[in-house]
Amino acid sequence: MENNILKLLFITVLILNFSQLKAQETRQIDEGTLTEKEKVSNWYNDNEVDINILFNYYNQDGDHSPVTGGIGTEELQSGAMKIMVSIPLDSVSILNISTLANVYSSASTDNIDTNVSSASSEDLRLQMDVGYTKKIGAQQSYTLRASGSTESDYVSKSIGGSWSIDSNDRNRQFGIDVQAFFDHWVPIFPEELRGTDNTLIPTNKRKSYSVGFNFSQVINKKLQLLFSTEIVYQRGLLSTPFHRVYFQSEELPKIERLPNEKLKFPLGLRVNYFLNDYIILRAYYRHYSDDFGVNAHTASLEVPIKVNSFFSVYPFYRWHTQTAAKYFSGYKEHAISENFYTSDYDLSAIDSYKVGLGIHYTPVWGIGRFKFLSKKKITVFKGIDLRIAKYARSDGLDAFMISTNFAFTME
Amino acid sequence: MRSEKQILGAILLLLSVGTFPSCVSVSAYQKMHLNDKEMELNVRKVEHFEISAESYREGAAGINGGKVGGGCGCN
Repeated sequence: MENNILKLLFITVLILNFSQLKAQETRQIDEGTLTEKEKVSNWYNDNEVDINILFNYYNQDGDHSPVTGGIGTEELQSGAMKIMVSIPLDSVSILNISTLANVYSSASTDNIDTNVSSASSEDLRLQMDVGYTKKIGAQQSYTLRASGSTESDYVSKSIGGSWSIDSNDRNRQFGIDVQAFFDHWVPIFPEELRGTDNTLIPTNKRKSYSVGFNFSQVINKKLQLLFSTEIVYQRGLLSTPFHRVYFQSEELPKIERLPNEKLKFPLGLRVNYFLNDYIILRAYYRHYSDDFGVNAHTASLEVPIKVNSFFSVYPFYRWHTQTAAKYFSGYKEHAISENFYTSDYDLSAIDSYKVGLGIHYTPVWGIGRFKFLSKKKITVFKGIDLRIAKYARSDGLDAFMISTNFAFTME
Repeated sequence: MRSEKQILGAILLLLSVGTFPSCVSVSAYQKMHLNDKEMELNVRKVEHFEISAESYREGAAGINGGKVGGGCGCN
């Protein structure tokens, strides 16, 4: 109850911040501090197309696969490539297009059936996002976006939009973001349960709606903050059809069963501090709660060390802790009388940490220049980002991930 | 439970900093440090894959550039 009051206060203060920002905007316009023409600066350089090509390799191993009821291998390898293109349409609007291809092989999903290394061991996920952003006057902008993704047993479509407003001095920004996902499963059940009553599911659809608010504030010349919160409502099939759950007194498993509604409430704070010309501190904290009973705290600290103006190295550390969902129990720990049950350790009481190192290299004049796709435009290889991280969960799951971003500009 | 309330209270306190006009007004020409690439309040593009993996491997997701719904595997 007290937590809910605090959360309501949080939203109230956000709204107060917004009203103050609007008041400041009105006051400054009344005072005639800036003409509208002066405020509409060249937001985008309409000659430059930004292209980011990202790669990721991820591998994990653990012994609590939900596919085999909370025991068994969780070995997984994944490779992904994402291309993000930003095309300025004029000085105030921009089109963003991104495509993702993700190939993964999973020993865990290979155990959906007894045929080891069958089709269920590999999958390909494709995703495409399109967004249009337009600046309105000098202080406001909106974005409209749509996306779709598909993999062998899951199709997701989404639409969304956001709106933001800056204060006149650009020391504050308030934004609202809404998003809706319309997904459906192509249910694949554990082999031994196919054709039995255990595979009855109420629907194969899942809908998710979210409303998010964010507020950023410059505190002084070296410190700025970002507050964010979001309310997410999900409805439909929230369990995974091929997750097995074993019971204390039963030989055969059942498929995972979870309520068909879920409410999530994350809120977070990001703080960036310019300590000196060589060191910057980037801190982040998130509190998360949902009505499945998961309460979580996540905190991270990243310390970019600027070797020079275009090269920085940043070690980072992330820590996470969460309580278990009330429907979670391990292998053969559930009672047959329970209405909802899962043995997915992602929903168990766990702590995790991630530690890693990143580099950011962006020379002023770029790394290289060449002609590509267009005879008129020159493509500049602007810079490289690289991140390597080790992730470990208290239940024994370990993961390694490496990501790169190659940034280009066509000018 | 008590520590959770304390953390929420601390966030509320920090948030209220933005509510009261006590923050220094920083002019555009004074934002050299704030405009530094490393000071951006957004998540780095190269970090998106990690956030996605974390949303799969943990019961919590959202507000950090990660997905809150849609997509198989996300809790």
